Amino acid sequence: MKEKSFLLFSAVLLVVLSVVWMIPIYALVTTSLKTQEEVALQKYLTLPQRLQFSNFARAFQALKIGLRNSFIITLSATFIAVFVGSLAGYSLTSFNFRFATLLFFLIVVVTFLPYHIVLIPITHILKSLALLNTYAGLILIYTILSAPMATLITGTFFMKIPPELEEAAMLDGCKPFLFYLRILLPVSLPGLVSATILVFIQIYNEFLLGIALTRGPEVKPVMPFLAELKGTQIAQWHIQMAGALITSIIPVAVFIFLGKYFISGLMAGYGKG
Amino acid sequence: MRYYRTQGLAFLIPILVIVGIFYGMIVWNFVVAFTGWQGLQATWKFVGFYNFSRLFSLQRFWVNIGNNLRWLLFFIAPTVFGGFVLAYLLNNLGRGEKILWQVFLFPMSLSFIITGVLWAWMYDPSSGLINSILRLLGVNTSRLGWIALPQTAVYCMIVAAFWQYLGFALVIYLGAIKGIPYEMVEAAKVDGASHFTVAFRVIFPNVGHATLICTTMLAITTVKVFDLVWVMTRGGPGVSTEVLPYLMYRLTFDSRDIGMGAATSIVILGFSAIMVIPYSLWALKKWVRV
Repeated sequence: MKEKSFLLFSAVLLVVLSVVWMIPIYALVTTSLKTQEEVALQKYLTLPQRLQFSNFARAFQALKIGLRNSFIITLSATFIAVFVGSLAGYSLTSFNFRFATLLFFLIVVVTFLPYHIVLIPITHILKSLALLNTYAGLILIYTILSAPMATLITGTFFMKIPPELEEAAMLDGCKPFLFYLRILLPVSLPGLVSATILVFIQIYNEFLLGIALTRGPEVKPVMPFLAELKGTQIAQWHIQMAGALITSIIPVAVFIFLGKYFISGLMAGYGKG
Repeated sequence: MRYYRTQGLAFLIPILVIVGIFYGMIVWNFVVAFTGWQGLQATWKFVGFYNFSRLFSLQRFWVNIGNNLRWLLFFIAPTVFGGFVLAYLLNNLGRGEKILWQVFLFPMSLSFIITGVLWAWMYDPSSGLINSILRLLGVNTSRLGWIALPQTAVYCMIVAAFWQYLGFALVIYLGAIKGIPYEMVEAAKVDGASHFTVAFRVIFPNVGHATLICTTMLAITTVKVFDLVWVMTRGGPGVSTEVLPYLMYRLTFDSRDIGMGAATSIVILGFSAIMVIPYSLWALKKWVRV
């Protein structure tokens, strides 16, 4: 009996907490669909009377250049970082290099050190390469900062592939790069997806480099635009919330549809898995 | 395989270059911290510890340090503890797991900027969500300024980050708890151990690796809260919510005092390295057999 009431208690506690956790999101969504007059009434928990999709049009107008820039930068940098990282992950886990331990250690350290500590040299490098305020510059930096993590995540998955697979392929005359491309990547597709998702979300969500390495709107990613929207639309909560919602659609969609890979990526990157 | 070692080595070239650049940048930063570089042009004049002594004599620097310590203390402990308790309850409940952890985890896919925009609105003293709800409940909110007050602002941000990161701790602990041999927990229960005993005396000592992961990752997150500070308060009121990366940004990009900005980065580096290096030595086991 005691056990039963404990289970009931934990069920209730968990459900109440998860409702509390969702309140901010509920308020965000409903407020983004209200008129300014409704917002002024401050009854944030009531549903909007008529759905105001024009809020989204206004927020989108303010964010669209940033969204375009973010797409270009994030997709390119993610692709390059995962390619470079998975090649390194393959090499480090299959060839038994004596220095692999040291290199792995150096990679783990740079994966987890916050990139804020190299913000000044990053800015200086891009400036001397004349790449400040260019797509190429941002893509270059995001690739440098994300490839180590991609190496770790893909490496974790590659280690689970039995070495016999590679030996058999080699005996059939398959060269390493073809093995990597035609066999290893398809076989460890979940690992590749996990690495891609984590790197993608990390770059898409990045803010500091977005403000430090750009001048003006031309190549600025979307997060600085959202921060600016907050600055310029003071107390226009419905527009701010619509902007926050538009910006979060991509990571949230990734999370909902590919959540499994998000978790296994987290586990592969940090956890014991 | 042996025949192909040169090719295998070639696959490593890009990451070697990248890792080389990264460590090169750290060294470069270190050197700059000891030069008198101010303004746009690099001046490679060695000034010893001058930048550090200027930094340490700033009142503002110590406010930043205080805030970083507040973040470490009041963000990590509750998140780790809450994550563990929720993971235990969820695992023990045995149902609804899939839905429930997703509810807690999804804020992690959002950026600090989105969280910041959302929570800045919730905390707004006059028209924010929290004070509106409190007024509905008949509370006098005229003195509840939340992020507008220097005394409470940092803690308000910590709550927002707690909201975002609780799911991370939950998922890490949930994975770890599932890895514990079932018999061990069962044996303790047969002996009549209470849930408290099972959770904190039997399970908790056996998920030390999860505690290590959570503590380290959350500690590193306290450096990344730059974004949250930027979007919620811009370091204000005054400088009361600034954290070290914020000071570094201001010194470097607003005051153009590159030497002092670099010195601040070195302080952040020291602070991060204390946590990251032991953690990396431990985590290394996963990728190589040491």
